[in-house]
Amino acid sequence: MELLKISKKNFLSFVDKKMSEKKSRIVGVIQKGSHFVFDDLQSSKDLRLDYDVTILPPKKYFQPQKEVMLKFAPKNVESYVAVNSYDPITIFGIHYYDLAAIYLMDRAFSDGDGDEHYIKKRENSLLIGSYPQKHFKQRFSRSVVKDQYYKVADLMLVDMGDEYVIEVVSEKGKNYLKGSQLKKNTYSLKQVEEAKTHIKDDQKLPVTVDIASEFLTRNYYHSVWKYFGDKCFSCGSCVFVCPTCYCFDVCEEIDLTLAAGQRIKVWDGCMLENFAVVADGHNFRRDRADRFKHRTFRKVKYLPDRYRYFGCVGCGRCADACTADIAGPNKVFKYILEKQ
Amino acid sequence: MSDKPKVAFFDFACCEGCQLQVANLEEDIIKLLDLVDLVEFREVMTGSTSETYDIAFIEGSITRKSDEKRLKDIRERSKLLVAYGQCAVNGGINRLKNIWHSMDDVKKCVYGDDSYMPHLDTYPTKGVDEVVKVDLYIPGCPINRDEFLRMVKELSLGKIPRLPNHPVCVECKLKENICLFDKGVICLGPLARAGCGAICPSNGSPCEACRGTVDNPNKNAMHEILDKYNYTVEEIKRTINLFGVNPEVKK
Repeated sequence: MELLKISKKNFLSFVDKKMSEKKSRIVGVIQKGSHFVFDDLQSSKDLRLDYDVTILPPKKYFQPQKEVMLKFAPKNVESYVAVNSYDPITIFGIHYYDLAAIYLMDRAFSDGDGDEHYIKKRENSLLIGSYPQKHFKQRFSRSVVKDQYYKVADLMLVDMGDEYVIEVVSEKGKNYLKGSQLKKNTYSLKQVEEAKTHIKDDQKLPVTVDIASEFLTRNYYHSVWKYFGDKCFSCGSCVFVCPTCYCFDVCEEIDLTLAAGQRIKVWDGCMLENFAVVADGHNFRRDRADRFKHRTFRKVKYLPDRYRYFGCVGCGRCADACTADIAGPNKVFKYILEKQ
Repeated sequence: MSDKPKVAFFDFACCEGCQLQVANLEEDIIKLLDLVDLVEFREVMTGSTSETYDIAFIEGSITRKSDEKRLKDIRERSKLLVAYGQCAVNGGINRLKNIWHSMDDVKKCVYGDDSYMPHLDTYPTKGVDEVVKVDLYIPGCPINRDEFLRMVKELSLGKIPRLPNHPVCVECKLKENICLFDKGVICLGPLARAGCGAICPSNGSPCEACRGTVDNPNKNAMHEILDKYNYTVEEIKRTINLFGVNPEVKK
């Protein structure tokens, strides 16, 4: 992989230049009160690559909270028109664990026939990643993410103090850099590696991906599920802020004339009580404990069984968003291990 | 004769804020009139043009014997009866007086020396469904206009309108709000029924569950949280039942 470097000052000019070119929507991490969010950049000055974590992950650009899929006139099949908007987008500053999550979303939405709405948006995106420069107490991504983030990143920024080293990951990323004031990298690989990993995690998932699946199967009937289920509000905060949760509902909206409507896709999540309600009102995950168990199994067993990677990237958002303070997957493992 | 459904609006003990929400639909109210035949609505028109109704919207809670008679009469003349606004749904704010042991004390506290006047007579607050059968509920203090329109559209299409059964937290997350608990503010969002677009937390105020709770609120968990914030049992109850949500937990 080619390594280049750029001064921070020149990097910001580069971002401003990209904004003025208006060839794509430019998104980056900005401050929102005491927190950070991904949002459209107005100026490179707003870009905060020193953030700890964002409230929502960047999945909202590929699977928006609410998305129109088609427009229709009722009782008229001829009127159905598919809608898909996928203007080019460039996102600056996605932490490596969020990129690992996008890799998983890409896999999930490409399986089988694939989801056009997601795939087109991803094809028209350019992802510029980074490594955390600030400690976040709930994060444990080092213990669950390997190097799968390189499979989706186009460029990675490594903070070297006054300069960034840029890891040129893809051809698309290389082309994006044309015309910028780049120099050859002069840092040793060891220095770069140190800059990428110097922010340590306080926490870790105490199981590896090889044994996690079997470990959970063995504990399917463990008291841990009821213990955490009893404390759970079923508020869905953990799944909405999760970068690998991609479940959605499909509904229809009609306008007041009753002559035109649209079919929409909206975020949904397995922790909500009505998620598993089917015909005749039957709910196949009625109890909080079952829902809590399902979410954990989804992250640590079902997805790894299918893709060989954890379905959790250790970003810590769920643990941070959980009012009851029970959502971090590492908590479940800690509880089970302590009870043994 | 119009084949549009005949719709009427009525109010009982309330601030009339919910009918104001309907009256304030602006250009949508014109489109709404293409959909329904408005036959009675004191806030926007004079008199009544029909004795029977396809849909009667009831606002307000029931607080007097005479209210019951009037409500039962409306029910008899209506095909569908909708309780809209939290006062109608469960008594709402008005239900706070039921916490007091004696209605005489309530009256004295509110009306002072005039409390004996016959027109101020009152009994413990009831929601509409404690007196007559309710076919549909539109919660909120006040109601959400978009939800009201959705319900009317779905009724017109012959669909059974449903309320969201997820908490307000969902809507805060969708909007990427900073959680008020992060600021040390107690918010009833985790118990409260969504559908308002998390309007209060989005503007910095905690949710007070004005739309009531989800079907199965985890009140035990909320008691634990409030306990963690050093709330007393009385404070916990007061926090939870502002809009008539029973704070008691199932053992």
